[in-house]
Parts: sequence; C-alpha cells; structure tokens
Amino acid sequence: MSNVSVQVSNLVTRLRAGEVGALARAISLVDSHHDAGSAIHRIVHPYSGQTEVIGITGPPGTGKSTLVNALVSELRSKNKRVAVVAVDPSSPITGGSVLGDRTRMGDHTSDSGVFIRSLAAHGHLGGLSSSILKVIDLIDAAGWDVVVLETVGAGQSETEIAEIADISVVVNAPGLGDDVQAIKAGILEIADVLVVNKADSPQAKRTERQLKAMLELRKEESSHVPIVNTVATTGEGVDELLEAIVEKGNSKFNSSKKERLLSRVRRIVAQEAAEQARRVVLRDQDESTLSLLEGVISGECEYEETITHVMSRYYAQQDK
Amino acid sequence: MSQITPNVAETPVRALITKIGFDGHDRGSRIVAAYLRDAGMEVIYTPPWQEIDSVVQLALQEDVDLIGISSLATDHLIVPDLMNALREAGLGEIEVFIGGIIPEQERPMLIEAGLGGIFGPGSTREDIVECAQRLATSARRKKEQAFERRL
Amino acid sequence: MSTPLEEVNVQPIDAAETKWKDDYTKQIGENDRVIKNMSGIEVEPLYVPDNIMDTELYLEKSGYPGQFPYTRGIYSTMHRGRTWTQRQLVGLGTPSDYNKRVKTMLDMGANAISLLPCNSGFRGVDCDTVPLPLLGTCGTVVNTVDHMETCLDQVPIDQISAAMNDPAPFTLFAFMLNVAKRRGIGWDKLTGTSNQSDYISHFVANHMFYRLSLSGSQRLLIDHIEFCREHVPNWNPMSVVGQHMQQTGATLAETIGFTFSSAIQHAEDCIARGMDPDEILPRFTFFFDVTINFFEEVAKFRAARRMWAHIARDRLGAKDPKSWRLKFHAQTSGVDLTAQQPLNNIARTAVQAMAGIFGGLQSMHTDAYDEPFTTPTEKTAKIAVATQNILREEAHLCDVIDPLGGSYYVERMTDQMEEEALSVIEKIDAAGGMFKAVETGLVQTMCGESSMANQELIESGEKKIIGVNCYEDEEEKIEIATTRPDPVAMQKHVDEFKAFKKDRSQKAVNKALDNLTRAANSDNENVFARVVEATDAGVTQGEIIACLREELGFGHPLIIA
Repeated sequence: MSNVSVQVSNLVTRLRAGEVGALARAISLVDSHHDAGSAIHRIVHPYSGQTEVIGITGPPGTGKSTLVNALVSELRSKNKRVAVVAVDPSSPITGGSVLGDRTRMGDHTSDSGVFIRSLAAHGHLGGLSSSILKVIDLIDAAGWDVVVLETVGAGQSETEIAEIADISVVVNAPGLGDDVQAIKAGILEIADVLVVNKADSPQAKRTERQLKAMLELRKEESSHVPIVNTVATTGEGVDELLEAIVEKGNSKFNSSKKERLLSRVRRIVAQEAAEQARRVVLRDQDESTLSLLEGVISGECEYEETITHVMSRYYAQQDK
Repeated sequence: MSQITPNVAETPVRALITKIGFDGHDRGSRIVAAYLRDAGMEVIYTPPWQEIDSVVQLALQEDVDLIGISSLATDHLIVPDLMNALREAGLGEIEVFIGGIIPEQERPMLIEAGLGGIFGPGSTREDIVECAQRLATSARRKKEQAFERRL
Repeated sequence: MSTPLEEVNVQPIDAAETKWKDDYTKQIGENDRVIKNMSGIEVEPLYVPDNIMDTELYLEKSGYPGQFPYTRGIYSTMHRGRTWTQRQLVGLGTPSDYNKRVKTMLDMGANAISLLPCNSGFRGVDCDTVPLPLLGTCGTVVNTVDHMETCLDQVPIDQISAAMNDPAPFTLFAFMLNVAKRRGIGWDKLTGTSNQSDYISHFVANHMFYRLSLSGSQRLLIDHIEFCREHVPNWNPMSVVGQHMQQTGATLAETIGFTFSSAIQHAEDCIARGMDPDEILPRFTFFFDVTINFFEEVAKFRAARRMWAHIARDRLGAKDPKSWRLKFHAQTSGVDLTAQQPLNNIARTAVQAMAGIFGGLQSMHTDAYDEPFTTPTEKTAKIAVATQNILREEAHLCDVIDPLGGSYYVERMTDQMEEEALSVIEKIDAAGGMFKAVETGLVQTMCGESSMANQELIESGEKKIIGVNCYEDEEEKIEIATTRPDPVAMQKHVDEFKAFKKDRSQKAVNKALDNLTRAANSDNENVFARVVEATDAGVTQGEIIACLREELGFGHPLIIA
C-alpha cells in the first residue's frame, strides 16, 4: 500500500468517526478537484445517501441567509444535525472569492450539531454540480442528517445547484424593485416550496398574490407548490416552512429513499452530460463543424442539423 | 508533498479575514480581503465582533490555512488568547497575521504568541499578499507534519 | 478648429477668454493633465464668470445668508455673529477619568461636551462581561445612571450643550435624563444631540454597532424622536450621519446623497407616525466628515445646504424656515491622518478645519494628531483645541460670511456636487428608499467600490500622501505611543459595578424589564419611555440592549464582498 492510500484511508476513518477537521479537509480536496478528493469520495460514496438536501435560493435582499439561520434553529429543535453549505460566486479571472455568507449564521457557531461550510462557485472550472454533490456525499458519510444548500444571488448557477437539492425552496420578499420580476422564471420552475419572507411588511400580501398568479402560468397543473409566509428575523412561520418541506418531500418521492436518490442522480447525470457536451462543442475546431457553423450565419444551414452533427461527433469521440 | 495536504499551487489557499473584540471599523479588513481574493485565494470574510470561540470553529469547519485579524482599537490585546484557543483546538498549524494600529511596545507580546506577520499603517498590497502566501505555504507544511504525526 | 475671431460677432469677454485659453494651452504644453476631485468631477484650471452675474439666478441658487436656499449660510450673521461650537469628542477610561478630562477641555475653551462610550458599550454589553484589556481604551465605560452621574459631576448640563454618542436604544441619553432628574434640572433645560442616532449610517459603515435589527432600530429611533418632542423639547434627537458613509469609502458627493436619502427616510417615518414635519425637522442635525480636499469640502457643504432647503420644503412639505436650515457638526477626518510623520497631522487637521469653517459648520471636533494610533492624550487633545482657537482668533476666518462664495470655482463646484448628489438620491429613490437600499446592500456596494477606487489611487501613487507614498522618511521608525487606562482603576470600576448589581432591587429591575418587553411587543407604547424608566430602576445598558435584542431582533451586518 502506498503512503497516499494510508493517508486517504486515515482521513476517511476520521471523517466517518465524526471528526469535523477531517470532514473539513476532505471537502477542500473534493471541492478543488484534487486527486485525493476523488479517492476519498470513492471510499465514502457507499456510506452516503442518508442525508436530505434542502436547497434554498432566491434573489439578493430577500433575507435568505437569515431564513437559513432560522431554519437551522428549527431543525435543531427537532434534534437534527444540520450541515449548511453556502455557495458564493468566485471571480472568473483570479479564481479567488470572498465568502461572506456564513457570517449570518452567528446563532449556531458554537453548536456542535451544526456544521457550516462556504464554497466558491469556481465559475471557470465547470462541474459545479458534481463538486457540490460530492461534498454533500462527504457530509452525508460523516453522519449529518440534513444539508441545507444555500446559493447566493440571482441567475447563472441557481437552477443548476437547485437540481442537486431534493427539495428546492425559492425565497422572495416584498419590495425588491419590480416586485416578483426579481424572481426569474427559471428559478420559479424549480421551486418545490415558495417563501414570502419579510411577511410582516405591508406589501407582502401583494407579493404572495403575484407569486400565485405566476404559479398558475406554470404548465404542470399537477404539481402543487405551497407558498409559506415567514419573518426570518423573528422566526415566524419557519415551523410551517419546515412542515411544507417535509410534506413536499413525502409526496415528491412517495417516502421512498431510493426514488429520491434515483431522481437526484438522474438530475446530476443530465447536468454533467450537458456540461460535458458543452465543453466538447466549444472546443470542436473540426473543419466540418466550422463550415456548418458558418452555414448557420449565412443561412445555408439550420441549427438543428448543426446540432445533430456536433452531437454525432461527440458520440464518435466517446466511442474512441 | 503529500496527497492530503496539497501545496498552495495545487489547491486554493483558504484565508479567514476577521475581527475580534469590540471595534467595528472594517475598511481595512475589507481591503485586505479584496487583496487576497485578487491574489486567487478563497477568503472567508466575517464582520467585526467575532468571539474567539467562533473564530476557532470557523477556522476548523472552513479548513483555513491562515487567519488575518484587523485591529484598530486595542483588540490585538486579546489575540494571544485566540492563539491559545487555536492550539487547544488542535489548529496550531494555522498561521495568523494582524494588521492595523499595533503599538511598538505591544508587538513583542504578539510575536511571542506566534503571530506570523504584523502590518502597520501604510503597508502595501505586495507586502501583505507576499506575507499571506508565505504563511499559507508554511501552514500547509505544518498541516502535513501534523497529519503525519497522527498516522 | 476655432473660427477666426473677426468672422463672428464676439463679446470682449469671449475674446479675452479665447485668448487666455490659447495662451494657457501654449504655455502649459505637455504638462497639462486632467485633474479630478474625490467625487470624480474634473477640476478645470480656471473658472470664469458664468451665470452667477445674473441676479435672478443668484437669488435662486445662492441668495443671502439666512435666506432660502441658504447656500451662503443658514443664519444671517454666521460666524461673524457667533462662531461654531467647539465640541471635542472625549471618551476614555472610567467615568472619573472622563470627568477629569472634560473639565480640562472646558477650561481650555471648549464650550460643549461630547461623550463617547467604550466600544463594549457600543456593542451593547456591560463591563463585567468584557476582557479587562479591552475596557475603556477607546471610550468611557458607562453602564448605569450612577456612572453617568460621575461623568457629569460639576458639569453644568443645564448651560452647555451635550452630545451623547449612542444609537438606539439611546441608553446614555436615558442615563443623562435621570442625572438631570436627580439634580433637579428640568428636561426642558437640556440642550444637545443624540449624536449618531441615525441607525442607517451604522448599517452602511458597519462601524461600531449592530445592536438591534434594522427594523428594531427604526422603531426605537422614531419612539425616541417622539419622546423628545414631548418631554425634552430643546434636545436634538435626530443626528443624521454622513460621516460614516464618507469614512467607509463613499465619495463626498455620494455622502451628501446618502445622508439626505437617510434624512428623507427618517423624516418620512416620523410623518407616517403622525408627526408634523415642522415639529421634527428643526430638531434634525447632521454630522459630516471634513477631509483635506479643501475646495471640494467647501462646495460639498454649500451644495448640501441648498439641497436640504429644497428637500425639506418641497419634498417633505415643511413650511417653517427653521425646518429648511441644515445645521451640522463636522469632525475632521481621521482617514486623512497618517501614522507616518504624525506631527504632520496637525497641519492636515488645520486645513480640514478651515474647509469646515468656510463650509459654514455650526459645531466642530478637530482630531488630535495621534488619532491614527490611539485615544488622544491630554497633550494632543489640547493641540487639537488650540488649532480651533488659532483659526477662530488669529486667522480672521470669521470676518466674512461665506468668504468663498462668488469664487467662480467654488460656485461651479457647488453646482456640480449638487448634480452628483441628486443623481445618488435618484438612485436610492429608485431602489425604494434608503432603508431598502441598505437592506439589500446597494449602498454598501457603492461605498465599497468607491473605497477600492480610492485605495487604487493611493497604491498607484496618483494620490499622494506625504510620508506614505512620497516624501517618505526612510529613517523614521513609527513609534506608536499608547495610553491605556489604569488596569487597577478599571478593575475597581468593574468590581463596583458587580457590587451595584448585587445591591439593587431585583424586583424593580424585573418589573422594568417586563415593562420594556411589553412595550417592545406592543404597537403603540413608546419603547424609549420604558428605557428611561428602566435606567432609573437600576437596569444596566447591557441588560436593556439584551432585552430589546430578544424582542426586536439582533442587528446582523450585511456583508458585501
């Protein structure tokens, strides 16, 4: 056995025994796509699949972090051990980032039943979903009951990250400029539960009405999306939010753990496949592809046939 | 270099920039956070008024390599307590540096407590980034040694 | 290219201007460069008569001192009639230390007092929970009415104006009200300011205190204003703070914009509570930073006066001229001071103070030269006061009202600063007002960007700072002197505080805290009134803040990376 494996297995043993430092180190290795990270993940993977992942997302200024803080308190009162993973955007140029979000978790810093970790979104590296999913597996294998996955800001990565969560909660609040337009249609699509935070504000009712109207436009009539009113600063409505999450989880997966995991894995595989195809297409400098792309500009080709072409090249490459 | 503690070229440096004690002037800590971010580090930034115990927990959970403390009032006077708390939590490998108003008479006490750098007014971006990188490298080495010891 | 002069019908002044421009361009040649001020406005080499010769326009934009829009001063006599109040911020050590220092300052010519609490007090905790080395290093440890009584011993609070630097729930002011009561001084005799009562500025600058949630602070502030209106009529409960914004990085023009957006928020909150604008606006005071950017600062204050007059009258609907007047205190900016070659700071402070005086301030604090390292020692504090005395008594700065008014440069810059600041207010309005803009982090982001931009100017050497990035003294070793409170005296203070807590009537304390809790949870009880009662019953500052945090939420800072 090489020295490397001894180190890896030692770290895994400590992680499985619940040593926070070992989990923290393993997360760094996985998140930075380091080889040791892959090795660790391979060992712990079979031990994962227990934890439930609640995704919380929404535009800035909705009080999301404060809500996460309150939700963690609620989960703690049910004796759940909770890990929070907060994803912040990173600079596409230097790769550096400032991760500031966990600081609102002030209430839980001294609670050994809460683990909080911030991750940079590494926009330029791609593979965000798989990295986060692996991080969740580590946390899972370390014995944490629930992972609350929080994403910051509106746009790009929310929908991607929300795919990872078993239940996605989309947070909105009254008075964010053009009302609910702040919520992009894409985010609304992935919502299992909607929250109107700052519900004590006079315009909250209006926000709720607007959300309802937007939900009615959604195609699948079958999926009922509950709207929960909360005041995160006081904790009001947070118990109802947790009830809604649990209920939604039960109906979505018929209480079957396997179904939940299958659904999660399928979403991730779809995401990663799309991302891989994207990278291949962007790098494809083959003559045949170039002439088809030019053909699209000149009007000689349609997008469809170009797509069929690049995909067939992609498959051919995979076969090799 | 071992697999478990990669060197700083392999995985991003994780730095915690924070303030303990009661002063809230955070312009300096924000600027230093931006410097380190621009140097490619992952910076965990907190607002002022952190308790020593929370800083230790944060450093542990976030797997940081270094901690930068900003002190404009007299908060540096409790930095030795922070150093002790880190050691007690088994996080002695983490390097700590401080910036702000640190009177000459009180520097020896900080160096004795194990601080890796002290930055007074007028320190340049280059100085700070260079020191942070050097400390991160040292922290990774210490982390590796600590890991080996526990095997 | 320009048209030959003889072909067009030109006025002599235009010809002269064209000639000057030609000469200037020729002579300066390669050496010409674009100069921008701190607000990003391009500063031209020369300013010439523009529209200011038009008397109608003059009345509209400048007017006469004491007349709308007050550009030239809010009173008809300004410093020629009455000079500014010398209000030196003092805060150090134990209440006895403070009392001794404040009496010295009054003997030196200061004519108002200002109390700065210990950072632990700003944070809202009592001294018995704080590591001893952190106590009293940056402010005075005041947790009870008894402590305040010691601070103000033999200080004639019915005759001089006092500033209590303490935001919601305004416990220091509550202590002071009880001291007045003990001494038999009617509350209508008290003058001064609840300095920095503007919670919004604290959330932006993140400076000292996150005592209560944004909404909790908002509630307390309006309760406080309402209480003072009824019971302490000559006290200024509202101090809108531009200083924090500027210190945290906002440009001068942004600072005016943010400050007035805050003032609008507070005024509208009061109006929504049923108060008449003319009942409250005369008790609004403003607190600004004054930096070394001399002309820009003067223009900032002139523009601010004009803007506030319009905002108060046209936007907030005030009819009483007293409501239109921008009364402000200015503090010379510590940001300009350097740890390198610290005696240079005396010169910097003098220039800053001059900008404030020409800007028409009502009250001033000058920083001591050791500000970059420490709480001022008695010696350095005396120099700071003397700086004001020299400017007032020797330099003839008070002879003429608004002496820079009419300077083509300053007039033009005043207009431009106004334009810039108005665009900031528009931005804040579009974001739904200052409360929301702070809640969502818009203002913090803007300040952060300006702060970084300024830092880059210093790093690139474009902005020169003597002793820092030019004219450095290689030999110099920066000696930072420290004044630390006497640990023995401080320990005694803490022990006495503990004994006080043991001896007081716990029944009265519990009752007062129950009342406070009830008030915080009711929509129509005045919480500040209960704070005043609680302090009278012996409840400490830390206990009051802890109670209100429980009921109204803790203030968590918004981190903008």
